[in-house]
Amino acid sequence: MSAEIFGSWIVVFLTLCIFSYLFDDNPFYKAAEHIFIGVSAGYWAVIAFWQQIQPNLFGRLWPKLEDTGEVSVLQSAWYSIYKVLNFISTGFGALDRSIFPEGGIKGYDEIRLMYLIPFILGIFMLLRLVPKVGWLARWAIAYIVGMTAGLRFYSFLNSDILIQIKASTIDFSSDWGTIINGLIVFIGTLTGLIYFFFSKEHKGSFGTLSKIGIYFLMIKFGASFGFAVMGRISLLIGRINQLKDYSTAEYNYATPTILVVIIISLAIWSFMDGGKKKESAA
Amino acid sequence: METLKNIFIKLGSMDRRIIFLLVGLSVLFPLLKPDWFTLPIRPKQHSQIVFDEINKLEAGSKVLLSFEYGPSTKPEIHPMTIALLRHMFVKDIKVYATALWADGNFMSTDAFDEVAAEYNKKIGIDYVNLGFKPGGEAVIKGIASDIRTLYPADLNGTSLDEIPMMQNVNNVEDFDFVFSLSSGTPGSKEWVQYATDPKGIPMSTGCTSIQVTDIVPYVENGQIRGILAGMPGAAEYEELVKMELKSMGLVIKPGEATSMMSAQSMAHVVIVILIIFGNITYYLTRNNKRKGSK
Amino acid sequence: MFLKRHMPLFIVISIGLLTLFGHFINNTTIQNFVDNDATQWFDIIASFAIFLGALNMLKLQMLKIIRKQNNWQYSTLAVLGFVVAIFAGFFYRGANYIVVSNVNEINLLPISELLTDELHLENQNTVMSNISDAEDGYEIPKIFMTQSGAEAFMEKLDKFDVNMEIKSKKWGVHLQAKGSLFSWIFFNIFTPLSSTMFALLAFFVASASYRAFRIRNFEATLLLVSGIILMLGRVPIGELIPWWVVAILIVFGVGAISAPWIKDKKIFFGLVVGGIVLFLGVGFAMGWNQSPPQILLIPVIQDWIFDYPTTAGSRALMIGIALGIVATSFRIIVGIERSFLGE
Repeated sequence: MSAEIFGSWIVVFLTLCIFSYLFDDNPFYKAAEHIFIGVSAGYWAVIAFWQQIQPNLFGRLWPKLEDTGEVSVLQSAWYSIYKVLNFISTGFGALDRSIFPEGGIKGYDEIRLMYLIPFILGIFMLLRLVPKVGWLARWAIAYIVGMTAGLRFYSFLNSDILIQIKASTIDFSSDWGTIINGLIVFIGTLTGLIYFFFSKEHKGSFGTLSKIGIYFLMIKFGASFGFAVMGRISLLIGRINQLKDYSTAEYNYATPTILVVIIISLAIWSFMDGGKKKESAA
Repeated sequence: METLKNIFIKLGSMDRRIIFLLVGLSVLFPLLKPDWFTLPIRPKQHSQIVFDEINKLEAGSKVLLSFEYGPSTKPEIHPMTIALLRHMFVKDIKVYATALWADGNFMSTDAFDEVAAEYNKKIGIDYVNLGFKPGGEAVIKGIASDIRTLYPADLNGTSLDEIPMMQNVNNVEDFDFVFSLSSGTPGSKEWVQYATDPKGIPMSTGCTSIQVTDIVPYVENGQIRGILAGMPGAAEYEELVKMELKSMGLVIKPGEATSMMSAQSMAHVVIVILIIFGNITYYLTRNNKRKGSK
Repeated sequence: MFLKRHMPLFIVISIGLLTLFGHFINNTTIQNFVDNDATQWFDIIASFAIFLGALNMLKLQMLKIIRKQNNWQYSTLAVLGFVVAIFAGFFYRGANYIVVSNVNEINLLPISELLTDELHLENQNTVMSNISDAEDGYEIPKIFMTQSGAEAFMEKLDKFDVNMEIKSKKWGVHLQAKGSLFSWIFFNIFTPLSSTMFALLAFFVASASYRAFRIRNFEATLLLVSGIILMLGRVPIGELIPWWVVAILIVFGVGAISAPWIKDKKIFFGLVVGGIVLFLGVGFAMGWNQSPPQILLIPVIQDWIFDYPTTAGSRALMIGIALGIVATSFRIIVGIERSFLGE
């Protein structure tokens, strides 16, 4: 059986395991769920290392420099650390390949020692796992939080407040239809914002405006609901389409075979589990 | 009449597995028998705006295409990607791909593998795939200021200086258009906030249905020019590209989203009917309770 | 105390202020740092956070196994999945490819034909031009997970007098090479699991809508009506709903709104039926069957709802959320907000 056909059977099996949750929480679903947890954690760790840490961190600390023939003592000492990393990654010389290439990492053309700071902060982040020194992770988190706060302050103020307020203005020089629609958007935005103002009690005319705001928000939520349904159905169609593709002779009838096996297994499990529940109730 | 009322009231306490079965069948039948359910696709205004924006670009224009989706949202967004790439390749637009999601790498590779050969497009000359970098908004800021600091090489490890089409491309201002294929955060919103708005670069987006209502304020005021909303948006764009290519005497393969729209329609009808039935049952049950209490 | 509390606060305040004022300070060094290096540091630390998450997951699952807690057997699958992904990422590339060189004019066509057939490629002419243009050897567009797989493919080309060499994609690049072990895991394990988890929600949305979506008051009615109009108007089936169905629904809607003021049920019923008959009569008389007015078409109504009231609601939410974020960011930057420290 080729890798492609074996792969298709795995795809069908895992998909139907997840769908089996529709019947009830069962061993097939639990197994698939745990496989997903493990594989996705490993996947993300691998991607983070190869896409970021190796090229952008190690690639700046130990770039592959042009061979000018002259190497300073400090540079030699610095690259001796890299050689140690290289040696460790070959399994202490046992394997003939390394995730740290010989001589440095190709990409940048100068050593940037200031990148030791994020390296150290990154190590501190990992120390969260060690209870005694876990507090060091706060420094790394502080950097991330501070950076995000600074970035978002400006960007949200500009794009989500100032520009949105500017966009709510009405062009009274255009036709009646555009003016009425513009008024609807303006009133809806204003009354919606009034609803979110909780420092004043929603009574009297303020309460009426707030109520109008709720109506606009309800229309928005209804639209969001409609789109949410649309999105989920689209994903379901994608899955069922793939199951349909894998039900042909080309893939050795993967879908119907695995479906029958899972249904029979679930029937047996349900019968046995029902019997166990009756016994424990008795 | 009483019998009908009782049937509705009984339906109200229907096992949810029957509802699951109905939804599953409403999706399955149109996929198994597509000829029974052929429905016309009429592009909506926002999809038309996206199409017109891309169509306006001249040969040699540079478009930054950002992949912010993964396999979980592939059915909604990937058909848009394929239609978009076909449109851009036919117009000889240079495509620069990047990804803010790790999964975006696979999606971009898949898309280019499928479409590039159809139009004899070569990597490094007609399109380049810069790949994924983690960091979200920070990556967008990096692209907005200096691409080479962020990407020393492309996805295949080729240095950017060795790629012909990367000459004189240093940051987002060197692109003529930005297109975000978005299914969450980071996505279109972050592109607007950190790159296209501050630098004044036109952009458009194709996003999942769930995100649409959050993005619509940007669309309405022109910060984002048009929007391809979910799978229906993808189907509409496929239709527009098909008509455009037909007018050029070219034939393309049928779009994936188009073939799935009948299933989408049936499922929506079933859910609407279920909601209406649910409310009829609620109304009848409420009336019975009121009569009972009197 | 200083290291555990004040130092993180110092970092937050200094980085926050630097990032914020970096937009306004016209100094090349600071702007370079804020726009490039600071964001790179952020990326790097974010990557270490991903490692932390993965290691934490491993720690929790291993503890479950060691302590033989409830359902510990499933945790072994989680650990196994993790180990397999790490193996494919760091220990086994599985991304071998063949480079063919020294292809003469006579062999060009048959080799192109063979490759197009075997690899199900689109365009044989493209393959031929790629082979002849390749100066350093043509890289066959197929990745082999094992060396033996590559050697088996090479045997098919043995009959042609060409040079062939098996190479391996570089570390890091092997992740994206379609056909490598890592990409096999991605497409055959990770992808179906994550996609299906999301697709499962479709069923629960339908079930929840059936059970919980009730017209209890005017607000709920608005929510329901806009949701239904959107669901039907966005898909092709919305085009098929005739104008008179919409007309009847409009009359019902007006009737429902005016019901509290009309006490007599017979009069109310008569007005509704009369309204429907009148509306339909006028419609048929004015030839709306051939060209109905836009306002009676679901897709048009849907477009209007999407463009105007929905935009208004979304904009109000967006501004409200943005105000909250700006306020919270300000509190973080000045050191008032300390929840990230666990306080």
